[in-house]
Amino acid sequence: MKEFIKTYLIELCCSYTVISVVGAITNVIYGSETNNANVILMFIFCNIGVFVLSIHKLFDKLSPLAMIVIQYVVAFGLCLLVVFISSLIDEVSPRGWFEFIRSFTIVYVIAAGFYYYRLFRDAKDQQEMLKEIQDKAARNKFI
Amino acid sequence: MKINLFEDKKITEEYLDIHFTEMRPMIRQLIDTVKSERPVISGRPADEDLDDGEEIILDPEEIYYFDHVERKLYAYTESGVYRLMTTLSSVEEQLSNYGFVRVSKSNLVNIYKIKQLKPDINMKVYLSFDNGERICINRSYKKSFTEYLNRMRRMA
Repeated sequence: MKEFIKTYLIELCCSYTVISVVGAITNVIYGSETNNANVILMFIFCNIGVFVLSIHKLFDKLSPLAMIVIQYVVAFGLCLLVVFISSLIDEVSPRGWFEFIRSFTIVYVIAAGFYYYRLFRDAKDQQEMLKEIQDKAARNKFI
Repeated sequence: MKINLFEDKKITEEYLDIHFTEMRPMIRQLIDTVKSERPVISGRPADEDLDDGEEIILDPEEIYYFDHVERKLYAYTESGVYRLMTTLSSVEEQLSNYGFVRVSKSNLVNIYKIKQLKPDINMKVYLSFDNGERICINRSYKKSFTEYLNRMRRMA
């Protein structure tokens, strides 16, 4: 549990830093501004994202594709709930919901695509390593 | 088979005497094992009654993989399936330098028998053997599998 919390906090700090810096750069480029509520929401979304991704071991028996879909649905549902609660306090613009769905899904699809690419690349590397080991072993047999 | 062990500090060269009635495969395998100093893995054919079947010494080179099902351990070879009266972790320890690596909680595979490693459409990575069988590499074991391959590559 201690290890889980340690890893969780490290990942949370890293992801929040990246998102904050990217958000600040985007604001500078487009001349927009953020407010305190957005900063808090960003932090909550980071928590949800890191938490949902960190429970991947619970889906060990499922295929990675099923795991990605389940994690997407859970994270999406939790984020949607947070936006809904925040809409009771502060008004969400008409395009806000659409923008939320779009920005959440695009990032997730890109991340899933990267995971898919890594999976194939790692398998290819492992296959090459295997061949090298097998070739060397076959050569040593004849010496 | 009866085994007598004698400790003698005075002898200059260690030796082994085998007394047998006929040269059975088991005796032959025993000789080969002693000569090549390979780890000994023995099992009984899985389809026979455990009390009746003769224990056979298995050559690790001939084993494709080990499978742990319902608290029973099986070794899969080209000639058949053998039931082993040991644990998967002890076999793993014995054969870790002979190309055997864990790919899931219940499977220990021989990397020299792997023909292909391929991810499926559902993102599960399967390894196939030259006998056509397929085994899935569990995500939790992916890192240790890669580390093992790196280690074996350096050793080779």
